[in-house]
Amino acid sequence: MILLDRVTVIYPNKTVALSGASLHIQPKEFVTIVGASGAGKSTLIRLLIKEEDPTSGKIIVGSIDYDTIDKANIPHLRRKIGVVFQDFKLLPNLTVYENVAFALEVSGVKSSDIKRAVPKILQLVGLSEKAHHYPTEISGGEKQRTAIARALVRNPKILIADEPTGNLDPKNSWDIIELLLKINRFGTTVVLTTHNKDIVNALKKRVITISRGRVVKDEKVGKYSI
Amino acid sequence: MITFWRVFKSGFRNTFRHAWLSTAATAIMAVTLLIMTFFAFSIYFVQSQLKEVQQKIDLTLFISDDAKDEEIKALQAKVLTTSGVTTVEFVSKLDALKRLENSSKEGSKLAKSASEIGNPLPASLEVKLAVIDDIGAINKTIRGYPEGAIITETSYDSSDDNRKGVIENIIRISNAVTRVGGVLSAVFLIIALLIIFNTVRMAIYTRREEIEIMKLVGATKWFVRGPFIIEGSMYGVFGATIAVMALVPLSRVINQFLVEKLNAGATVGYFSSNFMLIFLAIYGLGIIIGALSSWLAISRHLKL
Repeated sequence: MILLDRVTVIYPNKTVALSGASLHIQPKEFVTIVGASGAGKSTLIRLLIKEEDPTSGKIIVGSIDYDTIDKANIPHLRRKIGVVFQDFKLLPNLTVYENVAFALEVSGVKSSDIKRAVPKILQLVGLSEKAHHYPTEISGGEKQRTAIARALVRNPKILIADEPTGNLDPKNSWDIIELLLKINRFGTTVVLTTHNKDIVNALKKRVITISRGRVVKDEKVGKYSI
Repeated sequence: MITFWRVFKSGFRNTFRHAWLSTAATAIMAVTLLIMTFFAFSIYFVQSQLKEVQQKIDLTLFISDDAKDEEIKALQAKVLTTSGVTTVEFVSKLDALKRLENSSKEGSKLAKSASEIGNPLPASLEVKLAVIDDIGAINKTIRGYPEGAIITETSYDSSDDNRKGVIENIIRISNAVTRVGGVLSAVFLIIALLIIFNTVRMAIYTRREEIEIMKLVGATKWFVRGPFIIEGSMYGVFGATIAVMALVPLSRVINQFLVEKLNAGATVGYFSSNFMLIFLAIYGLGIIIGALSSWLAISRHLKL
């Protein structure tokens, strides 16, 4: 469950990124957040992974109230939320396998458990063959699937995908979206932000539209309308 | 434990990843450690020499050959009650001859000819003083005792050099060495800290993307910081290794010089018998300097 209650973010330079945004996402939902550049999508995502704190308002994810979580527990919070970005954020000097394993290594998972978990997740995203390739040796779609594998390997309850198809061609974009749907069917909450009208309209899932820092539309089966 | 091992491995790998920066950091670390060791050695040397000289320059009372045993005993007891005197030791004519014999090659020759003419060496009382500055006053007091009549001469009377001046000179040198050593060590310590600080800062900068990703996938603060601390410590370990490797042949040359020219067996002995300890100290110091500057760089430039 993700709950934002009248969340406002004002930057030191007086820019208002979010103003009184409220939204409620149920467990196992697939939600798309749309909005023009600068509408506040990225701020919203940075709030969810607690890279930023709201100026006012309340954020609760799962059973964790972001106001009361102490700094030392932020890494543990982030381990429960998988995040995927437009620019993949893979470590270039690690192979596909190592990039995925890395997420487990930083959490102190035993090596033997890592050896068991990583191949499974690589199979799920269809990258078993490319396990020992470096990011520079694979396509954009494969890079994004690696990033998704890395986000999923710790069995997060929530997967946040911030414009995951932004750098991909239509074919690869659809592969990624289908992968996200598959992950959602397995029971993970998926929060997707995108600019891709075709994808939003074809998904026929809940769409939240953000404009100028406010939630202006929230439809059960929404369409891209900006 | 797993995490510690992973952090250690990653820090170790990173040290080799930017070899050029590491080289500069290691070199300055080695120089700093050498300089600090050199001055520690010098300060210890000068101070041990000072102690030795102070012990040598205590007061010796030469006793007339005509003096009776009771008279000598009475004088010995009286001198011991004098304030500022710590011990009084009796050296007989025979002891004096034996000492001369054992002192050196020439001494033994002299002793031989001395014994042939019936041992002209006087018996003496060797007086050790608590504070060397009092030597003149104490000499005067002792000469004033009625029991002091059997004294023919004292080392203070016969000294043509200014003993106090000699000691003051040594103290001056000792202070100067300590001061110069302290300042130079501090300067190089600061340079080393700054260079390693900058090396780690560069490392943080070049790996900012990696750090961002680590944070995103939920690495704890120490998982991100640890490798940099390890990296700083590695410069300490490498620098100390170079310093120690330079120190072994260097110390041999210095030892030889000190033993032959300055007769400084005690200092040399101390250093060679505590070599392990000194090595450990150098490594310890290197690791502390490295880790500390790394820590400073992290707390300034690694916002977590």
